Amino acid sequence: MKQRNRDCGQDNPTLGWQDDIRRKKNKKVRAALSFLVITVLMALLFFAAINIGSLQVGVTGLLKGLFVEYDPNVAAIWDLRFPRIIISMLAGAGIAVSGVLFQAVLKNPLADPGIIGISSGAGFAAVLVTAFAPQWYFFTPLAAFLGGVIAFLLVYCLSWKGGLSPLRIILTGVAADALFTGLASAFNSMSGKDMSGVAAIVEANITQKTWEDVSTLFPYIAAGLFLAALFLGECNLLSLEDKTARSLGINVNTTRICISLIAVLLASISTAIAGAISFLGLIVPHIGRILVGSDHRALMPFSALAGAFTFLLADTIGRTAAAPHEVSAAVVMSVAGGPFFIVLLRRSKKYAS
Amino acid sequence: MPTKQAKTKKLAMEVKNLSFSYGNNRILQGASLEIENGKITTIMGANGCGKSTLFSLMTKNLVPARGKVLLYGRDICGMQLSEFAKKVSIVHQYNTSTDDITVERLVGFGRTPHRKLFGGCREEDMQLIEWAMEVTGITSYREREVAKLSGGQRQRVWIAMALAQNTKILFLDEPTTYLDIRYQIEILNLVQKLNREFGITIVMVLHDINQAIHFSDQIIGLAAGKVLVKGAPGNVISAECIQKLYGIELGVTEIDGKKFVLTV
Repeated sequence: MKQRNRDCGQDNPTLGWQDDIRRKKNKKVRAALSFLVITVLMALLFFAAINIGSLQVGVTGLLKGLFVEYDPNVAAIWDLRFPRIIISMLAGAGIAVSGVLFQAVLKNPLADPGIIGISSGAGFAAVLVTAFAPQWYFFTPLAAFLGGVIAFLLVYCLSWKGGLSPLRIILTGVAADALFTGLASAFNSMSGKDMSGVAAIVEANITQKTWEDVSTLFPYIAAGLFLAALFLGECNLLSLEDKTARSLGINVNTTRICISLIAVLLASISTAIAGAISFLGLIVPHIGRILVGSDHRALMPFSALAGAFTFLLADTIGRTAAAPHEVSAAVVMSVAGGPFFIVLLRRSKKYAS
Repeated sequence: MPTKQAKTKKLAMEVKNLSFSYGNNRILQGASLEIENGKITTIMGANGCGKSTLFSLMTKNLVPARGKVLLYGRDICGMQLSEFAKKVSIVHQYNTSTDDITVERLVGFGRTPHRKLFGGCREEDMQLIEWAMEVTGITSYREREVAKLSGGQRQRVWIAMALAQNTKILFLDEPTTYLDIRYQIEILNLVQKLNREFGITIVMVLHDINQAIHFSDQIIGLAAGKVLVKGAPGNVISAECIQKLYGIELGVTEIDGKKFVLTV
């Protein structure tokens, strides 16, 4: 019997353990390179974004202006461009990690906080607060979070038919997304588009962002990313069948709810400050899986970095493509993300059947 | 009192008067049975007889409407999943994982119930993962992605993951489905080895009557939500018993003192 056990290892004669080791090494190298490249690109883009626009100071001028002596140009960049750049990065990281979490929880690589209506639910709640209770501005993130939770519960419950079919979630989500986006737009139009706060959320306009917005966004994103990091192991275990995860002592439903709430938090807060961005939470994790694999211990940090990069890239393209006019990052993401989503749907035999 | 203690010690699990229904459809109606320590017990019966439901109830995937399931004398309903997972491991019939996970990582998931928050992989964890891979004969492809394995190899990986939990009791739900005959026998030999060499109490559901007879110490036959037969296969299997369990007349013959049901 023991002999037979050993034979089993040679079922597939083309694969030896040397091949396994080699493939594992290749994967590790690719993952390490991906992290390196995205970090370098991020740094380059950061400095490029600072220097793109009507004011240009150069890297040395910037460092000098920041740390050595006062320079009015650098001061203007510090007040106008820095907040928007940092917000882009924070929101990008938040939305991408939110996408990773939703995909883990729903076992659906097509889940994205934008597509399944979470972002627009959060955005609509933020619009309500901004329109009706501007004095409660401080609570906008909280309201957005509630809006996100409500949208999530709505989509989750409406898609539930003795189980969650990936396609049904997407379809219900698209409907919820349309509803909330429509409501928010209606508000924007009814208020004559003269409420800049409302318009900023609806149009995902981050031109007017200040350091105050950065300090509103930062603690929530930091907390969300920290909480997400605590659930890395659980995210990996959720890739197993529910029953199997339960047999390992994981309370699958409770874990799902916790991770979903973290995902909703990240997506909602990002939406409240930077507006609803579609496809970011879908594209970034998808590319991440190809480059660093589906282990969340690598996928999540990579997606955070790549998400920050992608949002900032979209924003930077948006403000340079038709300068002096600006195209919002959300529009750039939609234009780039739409085709990408279709390609994903067509390639994925499992989910589009 | 001492007699009762001795009895509970011999019993790994007890199912007492278990009932369960889906809506008006009564699946189990007062099923009672015992799982003896260190034995291989196989649950068998026709489709829809309630064996899957019984399996789910015994593994905390369903909550009984009436009756209870005792694990070493303790009601499992009051147990945390994580505590249960330290005592009982389960290999379910249908399993999936991400394509790019390696065998070793997947087996390592078996240590989950024993891990502490922020606790990394300890020496003990490593040893048990090694042991589980060794016993199931998968060490040679530990670095391979699970998606690249054959069905028989993959089933070994899932069993290894359960073994890494280091429990005294192992449940297997139809461990041979989807496998051709060579791998079926291999898996059953492995299960027998786990029992004989490591004293692991095995509870499994099997479809094949002859495999159930030859690889089990105890048979539990279910029909219409009730336990119809229980005992050593040599004692309980007969043409009459098969007729009652499966509703079909099949011949039963004996070769070298072992019973065979003629399934064609």
